[in-house]
Amino acid sequence: MKLIPTLLLSIFSVAFSVSLCADTDAEVTARKEALDLAGAFTNDGFKIRDGHWCGTIKPHEHALIAVNLYAGNQYWFSVGATEQAKKIAVNVYDESGKQTTTDSYNAGDQVAAGFSCTSSGQYYVSVDLLDGEESSFCLVYSYK
Amino acid sequence: MKSSCRFGAIAALAAASALSGAETRLPADQLAKAIRTDSISIPTPGELFAALSKPGKPNWIGQYRGPVPTTYRDRAQIALNLGGLIADGFIAVEAKDSQQVKNIGSDIIKLAKALGVSENLLRRGNSINEFAEDDDWDTLQEELEATQNEVKSSMQTHSDQDLVILVSLGGWIRGTQVVSSSILQNYDQQAAKVLRQPALVSFMQSKIAAISPDLRDDPLVKNVSEQLTEMEKLVSFPAGQAPSVDDVRKVNTAASKMMTAIRSKTESQ
Repeated sequence: MKLIPTLLLSIFSVAFSVSLCADTDAEVTARKEALDLAGAFTNDGFKIRDGHWCGTIKPHEHALIAVNLYAGNQYWFSVGATEQAKKIAVNVYDESGKQTTTDSYNAGDQVAAGFSCTSSGQYYVSVDLLDGEESSFCLVYSYK
Repeated sequence: MKSSCRFGAIAALAAASALSGAETRLPADQLAKAIRTDSISIPTPGELFAALSKPGKPNWIGQYRGPVPTTYRDRAQIALNLGGLIADGFIAVEAKDSQQVKNIGSDIIKLAKALGVSENLLRRGNSINEFAEDDDWDTLQEELEATQNEVKSSMQTHSDQDLVILVSLGGWIRGTQVVSSSILQNYDQQAAKVLRQPALVSFMQSKIAAISPDLRDDPLVKNVSEQLTEMEKLVSFPAGQAPSVDDVRKVNTAASKMMTAIRSKTESQ
């Protein structure tokens, strides 16, 4: 039942951020997609972090975003993209650049990677455009 | 309907737990070029406190401090204290203390107004009060985070973007002070691991190095920046290794010293 107010708050935050951060329409769309996916994890007690990264990505390229995480927390990194993206992937790497083992959800232009952090520090979230044309994407993350 | 299907798919995913973990390693030059921003690379106090709560519920009320002055004139000091107050708000939410949340919410608005940030913050203040009245703790936490982001966004639109990192820094220092204090009261190796954040401190230092020379030369900013160099060494434990009680005590002493400087009012104020 808490999902509805959470989603409403998220949507409000999107609208608010649009005016302040001047994201493009495509980035706003991508962010809505990412929040839509992240909202599903709130059913399991995950809280959506009120911060995001939006950008564009070209075919067979990846964007790498640094995050700092805490041991003991579980995380889901949710990515939404515009419809030009046919298939995207999200992966998590530790501070040495080694890929971590993650749970994954993939629905074409919406993907998520989840993992339990056992060592505090810096991690890197990679967003890859595997198939499709240059697209806008947005990354949000949730924790519990 | 689309959402319902998706939630079902995610539930199935949780059961199936599809793993992807090929032995792939990114080269150092790519890691160095990674995007780092205040909005996603600096964790909130809420994330830190969530991790601390895993081994056992801390005594959050024991971490309260007395009221913070809301009449500072130095803008850097206001920004640093604003961050610390927002961290206090997260502590009150963890303690499920509605009166404390309302008191802190009121002080946040006072400090934010002193910086001349958005009038929208008044609405946030009202929302914080309403959610506190209703004991709506999950939403309160989101509202606190949104308030912090609104303060930062307003700073950016008012050409005060250099103050943004000081809000984040103030929150991190206060969070670290509280967490290290809590760990010292009931040492637990798992909980102590949350204190390891060398890259985060390094990132905040790089942001401070990039602010305007005038602000960087502010005596308080200079003082905190110098202490941050020492703090980086204190939170640089080997990956996966828990700091000892003595290590935690050193972190707490350093964070407390910084908080004292941030909070203290000079004669002219």
